[in-house]
Amino acid sequence: MLTLHGAALTTPPTLAPLDGSVRPGELLAIVGPNGAGKSTLLSLLSGFRACQAGAIRLDGRDLAQWPVYALASRRAMVAQQEPPGFDWRVEELIALGSDPDPALVTQLLDQMDLLDLSDRSILTLSGGERQRVLIARGVCQLLSRRSHAATDGGLLLLDEPTSALDIGQQQRLMRQLRHWAHQHAMAIVCVLHDLNLASLYADRVWLIDNGARAAHGTPAQVLTPERLTSVYGAELQILSNATGTAPLFALVP
Amino acid sequence: MMALLLRSRREPFHQRALGVLALLAALLALSLAWSASSGTFGLSPLTLISDQADALSVQVWWQLRLPRLLLGAAVGAMLAGSGAAMQGLFRNPLADPTLLGLASGAGLFVALWIVLFQGAGHGAGPVSLYGQFIAGFLGALSVCAVVFGLAQRQGGGSAAVMTLLLAGLAINTLAGAGGGILAFIASDEQLRQLSLWGMGTLTHSLWRTTLVALVLIPLALIGLLRSARELDLLQLGETTAHGAGLDAPRLKRRVVVATSLGVGLCVALTGVIGFLGLLVPHCLRLWLGPGHRLLLPASMLGGAILLVVADTLARTLAAPAEIPVGLLTSLLGGPYFLYLLMRRSRTC
Repeated sequence: MLTLHGAALTTPPTLAPLDGSVRPGELLAIVGPNGAGKSTLLSLLSGFRACQAGAIRLDGRDLAQWPVYALASRRAMVAQQEPPGFDWRVEELIALGSDPDPALVTQLLDQMDLLDLSDRSILTLSGGERQRVLIARGVCQLLSRRSHAATDGGLLLLDEPTSALDIGQQQRLMRQLRHWAHQHAMAIVCVLHDLNLASLYADRVWLIDNGARAAHGTPAQVLTPERLTSVYGAELQILSNATGTAPLFALVP
Repeated sequence: MMALLLRSRREPFHQRALGVLALLAALLALSLAWSASSGTFGLSPLTLISDQADALSVQVWWQLRLPRLLLGAAVGAMLAGSGAAMQGLFRNPLADPTLLGLASGAGLFVALWIVLFQGAGHGAGPVSLYGQFIAGFLGALSVCAVVFGLAQRQGGGSAAVMTLLLAGLAINTLAGAGGGILAFIASDEQLRQLSLWGMGTLTHSLWRTTLVALVLIPLALIGLLRSARELDLLQLGETTAHGAGLDAPRLKRRVVVATSLGVGLCVALTGVIGFLGLLVPHCLRLWLGPGHRLLLPASMLGGAILLVVADTLARTLAAPAEIPVGLLTSLLGGPYFLYLLMRRSRTC
């Protein structure tokens, strides 16, 4: 669906040339230290920023060639939260950017555990609740603007979707993302800080360090203790790797 | 009536929008009729239709009262509409053409035009009128560019709000000083012209000026109305809004040009009439919610109503003298702005 061909940024913030692809139905996690260039990479993938060398293609067509409006029916972006200005109701906010079927809105509210809040003003919500509303809005845009000819569910880009969520909500969100990815053949790319979430839920991981991709592959291939220690400069211990599942990490006190 | 007022924001959009706008349009018609029939030379629409009035008063009504009514409605709609649009653009309910210095910037340029470039004897000619208008437009546009540049550099957040208001304060102070200097060097005739125009009044409306407003203001209003959906999207923040299909640079250009055109024209024609752009959208947002598809047209109607009513009061309260309507709206808007600031500092 989305392919990168030596996509790079040459002026700061720089990004070394990247090749790769994002496929329908998969959950791709972008991890890396603060300031590594994760959000910059995400804004390249969304077309908000144009790459200065190489190309990124969506459905075989250069992102720069897509009209902004048409692009919005193929990919949605949920950037990091900005302080809300006005008192939208939750339902109104979810419908921004599309003309959704009320049934879809209700379903998304239910899936994001927001049904009780549907009539509330977003100014009265907590940071975590607002974050779930914004994610629901992105999914709503993709699903309700999807053309009948589309064989997949489009591309959903999330910048740190779990940053304000408690541990239970993190689990529910990551499960829900996987569910959407499989059910609608949606491609989901999210920037994550929590390596354990990436390890548990992502199909593939890109590790970004210092404006370049340090490693990519399955969580087990990418998230090795040696590599993480050198990239993050943190002392880590592996909690489980024996059962063939993905590795889990804890800090050494 | 009560049922209309209490309509909930959950109703289907078109039905609700139609109800609200019809109600506001009816109120506007009522206020126009009231304004038409009050004060000296007032003629109620009924008297006009039934042909009972004497020829002189009918003529005075047509030549003086009607253009004033229409100009008041147009300027009110423009100021309130541009207030609503700027608040959407800055994602901040405190943005307003007066507070951000657009109006006083336009005023300074108009004063510059009157004092430095307007030849003697052109006082009432078309060169003077269009020159004033172009000066007002350029003044508003340059202030808008400066303020918006500042806001862009600061990003979102409360620091940016502070910067905006301070920038507005600085521009207002500068424009005030500039105006003072101009008044100092102006000739007596120019001084009279300056002070007549500067207080914010609809007194000098004639068909010649009103027609310019009636052609150009609707253009600017349409420009703003067409941006309603995009202004909604912008509230998501620029990156997310781009992802939802918003061409933000185009939207900004359109809103900045339309508000500068409209506010510049209003200031050139009537002087600075303050706070309408803050007051009206803010009250309507409490009632209707922040969606611009309804808020923008409702603010335009609401601004027209408020200015027509305020102008009628300005005309009649101290009759036969006239209070400049700009003073009235500032008396109303200033305290309201203070109240808003206090409420925000408590919730933030």
